[in-house]
Amino acid sequence: MVEKPKDVDIGGKMPTIEVSHQDLCRLVGKSIPINKLKEEGILFAKGEIDEAKGDLLKIDIKDTNRPDLWSTEGIAREIKGRYVSGGLPRYKTKKSGIVVKVDKGLKGIRPFTVCAVVKNLKIYDHSLSQLIQLQEKVSVTFGRNRKEVAIGVYDLNRIKPPIRFTTVKPDGIKFIPLEFRKALTPRQILKEHPKGREFGYLLEALPEYPMFIDSAEEVLSIPPIINSEYTGKVTKETKDVFIECSGFNLKFLIPALNVMVAALSDRGGDIERVRVVYPGRVLETPELEPKAFELNLEYLNTVSGLDLSIERACRLLNQARYEAKPSGKRIKLLYPAYRQDIMHQRDVVEDVLISYGYNKIEAVIPKLATVGSQNPIESFSSTVSDIMAGLGLQEVLSYILTNKKNLFEKMNLREGGSVEIENIVSANWSVFRTWLLPSLLEFLSRNKHVEYPQGIFEIGDVVNLDNREETKTKDTRKMAVALTDNVVGYEDISSVLDSLLRSLGTEYKLNRIEHPSFIRGRVAGIFVRGRKIGFVGEINPLVLEKWDLEKPVVGLELDLQGLVS
Amino acid sequence: MSGSMYKLTEEGKNYLENGLPEANLAESLRGPMKIEDLKARIENFGIALQWAKKKRWIRLESGKLFLVRKTRHIPEHDALKRLSEGKQVDGKMIDLLLKRKLIYMEREDVVKKAEKMLGKEILNLPPELIKTGMWRRVKIKPYNVRVTGKKIYPGKRQPYKHFLSEVRQRLVELGFMEMMGPMIETEFWNFDALYQAQNHPSRDWAQTYTLKHPKYGKLPGRGVVSRVKAAHENGWKTGSTGWGYRWDIKKASQLMPRAHTTASSARTLANLPEIPGKYFAISRCFRPDVIDATHGVEFNQMEGIVIDKSLTFREMLGTLKMFAMEIGGAKKFRFYADYYPFTEPSVQISIKHPEMGWIELAGAGIFRPELTEPLGVKEPVIAWGLGIDRLAMFKLNIKDIRELFSKNLDWLRNQRMLI
Repeated sequence: MVEKPKDVDIGGKMPTIEVSHQDLCRLVGKSIPINKLKEEGILFAKGEIDEAKGDLLKIDIKDTNRPDLWSTEGIAREIKGRYVSGGLPRYKTKKSGIVVKVDKGLKGIRPFTVCAVVKNLKIYDHSLSQLIQLQEKVSVTFGRNRKEVAIGVYDLNRIKPPIRFTTVKPDGIKFIPLEFRKALTPRQILKEHPKGREFGYLLEALPEYPMFIDSAEEVLSIPPIINSEYTGKVTKETKDVFIECSGFNLKFLIPALNVMVAALSDRGGDIERVRVVYPGRVLETPELEPKAFELNLEYLNTVSGLDLSIERACRLLNQARYEAKPSGKRIKLLYPAYRQDIMHQRDVVEDVLISYGYNKIEAVIPKLATVGSQNPIESFSSTVSDIMAGLGLQEVLSYILTNKKNLFEKMNLREGGSVEIENIVSANWSVFRTWLLPSLLEFLSRNKHVEYPQGIFEIGDVVNLDNREETKTKDTRKMAVALTDNVVGYEDISSVLDSLLRSLGTEYKLNRIEHPSFIRGRVAGIFVRGRKIGFVGEINPLVLEKWDLEKPVVGLELDLQGLVS
Repeated sequence: MSGSMYKLTEEGKNYLENGLPEANLAESLRGPMKIEDLKARIENFGIALQWAKKKRWIRLESGKLFLVRKTRHIPEHDALKRLSEGKQVDGKMIDLLLKRKLIYMEREDVVKKAEKMLGKEILNLPPELIKTGMWRRVKIKPYNVRVTGKKIYPGKRQPYKHFLSEVRQRLVELGFMEMMGPMIETEFWNFDALYQAQNHPSRDWAQTYTLKHPKYGKLPGRGVVSRVKAAHENGWKTGSTGWGYRWDIKKASQLMPRAHTTASSARTLANLPEIPGKYFAISRCFRPDVIDATHGVEFNQMEGIVIDKSLTFREMLGTLKMFAMEIGGAKKFRFYADYYPFTEPSVQISIKHPEMGWIELAGAGIFRPELTEPLGVKEPVIAWGLGIDRLAMFKLNIKDIRELFSKNLDWLRNQRMLI
């Protein structure tokens, strides 16, 4: 299976997770052959098995908005609902008595945290790697690469509560970060620790950094960078863990925490609540009470195109881990607290359809009486391409992004206005082209070793600033031609122009103009119905030098929109 | 061989092939016949009459023609035949044929040039030898015909652009109307109108380009803007909870390079689309990716919408099935549940490629009501998108996406056409 094409990948990068087949079947409570999993089972978790090597499955989860699916535990919940037993998964919690105190100094730095305790874990290889993987996926994909959500997991028995969520000066307390042997200041960690270098940009500009620290002044972590080696290391010997999620918005933090504790609970852990004390406000987390929703049966059938009875719909929803009860023509629903993606009945409809099975539904090609048409400028461009190819010229295609040097300096022009990108990836691709000929000269400069004569053309869009437009810019469809050989002159390119315009039945006039990219006295403006729509001439040797071209070049550029309108 | 050389005129060639007119006339006369009847049947009747009379083959009596003498042998015809084969004819006959303008004398220099080549083995076949018929008396050297001539390069369409034209044509045949939109968009049309929350990761600086200049564009009328705002904040009247955050109008009016073609679909929906309607767009999109074999500087996206009150999830699957068959050329396909921020339910289709195995071809979904209703559309709208760059790579047998925009003239000249 090939990587998901980015041109249809609008929802963000989908997570790929590694799962042990045996571990998955154990959590489902039923042995499912890999083939059956591939063909059907995994589809219930919006997944696709990308690779199966022995016991190891690589699974793409196609939903970037369902962090609850990004672990073996989450996948198992969905498959169990369809193959073993469905209904709402219930999560019991009790008080841990642990308090986390949040300093008001965190405002503007990393203001929020929600926390939990999970006890009596039996951590073994799979559960440990799943815990780390889920923590990673949630903070990268759902947590916007730790910006919105950073997750810390600690060995509870090494912490002396109460815990403080506070701030620290960059050169404040030293502690040993995870996987290191010597104690470093937070500023040193940002510079020296691999995670510091990777995520340091999230803190760098701040006067103080966020920090979790316990009552014995033992540092837990500086989120979102790194835990301490002493408290923040979870191993197979760890029995009880403390989990915190920190960030800027409870809407992200609460579901992230719920996803984490639900997964640990599915492996037999006991969830306990933590009191998070803010200045003037107390949260008790995790909050795992199921949420209520309603689905209208008629709406379900209208959107799905299926004629489902209310009983059938409820059964399909129970398989999708809802608690669904008919109430007249409506279905009363409870859904688990780890889900944060349900905003509208539509979201529930999809879950019904997934339970039903997308591939069991008859696909109906819509029979609508519509008349197809191309945009006139596209069909005109096509006609012009055919004429140009008929003249023996090779069509080329360039990027629209370029740089000012190519557009202006190398064309012997003073810098003009152009659309400029702020967050460039490379200076080579930093502005939108305002005309086409530079693209063609660049093309020729890369083909000096190729057989001559060379004749090329391009039809494409350019963007120019235009304050009258809604987008302050205007796209124009243009065509440019360039010819080069040991001997080539004005008459060669003007005859190309003439054959094109005669073929199109367009009357035109050539008038002498000045254009610094061309040789003085060998450049003309192309006028149609009194309006200048382009220019044609011999390229200035100064320009040839700048492009490192050693043979004469003649060229033309034409506004195709100006030709039709 | 003398220096003069006679060649047949067009008239001479005609008589050689079809007979002399007087001979044709004489042959047609089975008994006395009216002039009017013969006029219609005999070509060049005037000439025929003149020469037949002169040769005393016929006589004219009270408007009727009588055959006087039948003749089998016509010397002019024989002479024309001999001359056409490059043989000699006596001087009196030459004079007669010249007078009748059935032959003309070839230019002396042409004949001389041709004579010089007689008896030799020649490489090229010159016009002088053809004109004088003397090619019969030279040897034309055989060539090694297994060798082709010098490579020449026809003018050609760029392969990827050609592919896009073909796909465009195919979509028109399937009844889709083409949409266009600007390359520089406001975030409003690129994201907000599509119900993509302002803090959605795809709006992050790492995922989309922002502009240094120009910075802000104009938003549409207040009605649409306030409905979109409400949809984001509280779901407006759509029955949704909305995203539940404070929507920022300034962010929405920021300009950006179009990150996906869906922006054009949003504009189409807000602009009173035809219902039923099928629309498509193929357009250049821009995202700040680090360039490698699977990420170019820019890419093309093909997307579209289908609108009608009758549409359901089943038609959504059907739309993708149509693309699998008509554009992907596939017989086997499979659906997967998928996620896009602006559609629900969403689906992806994979097709079985004879060599590549299963490949992801396209995605689709029903636009969320939080998107369509604020834009003024009540009917269900199926949105679809197809990985056109990747499909082109398969069809053109390209492994590196950057080759779609190849700067290699040699490669372009030698690339085979799509058939």
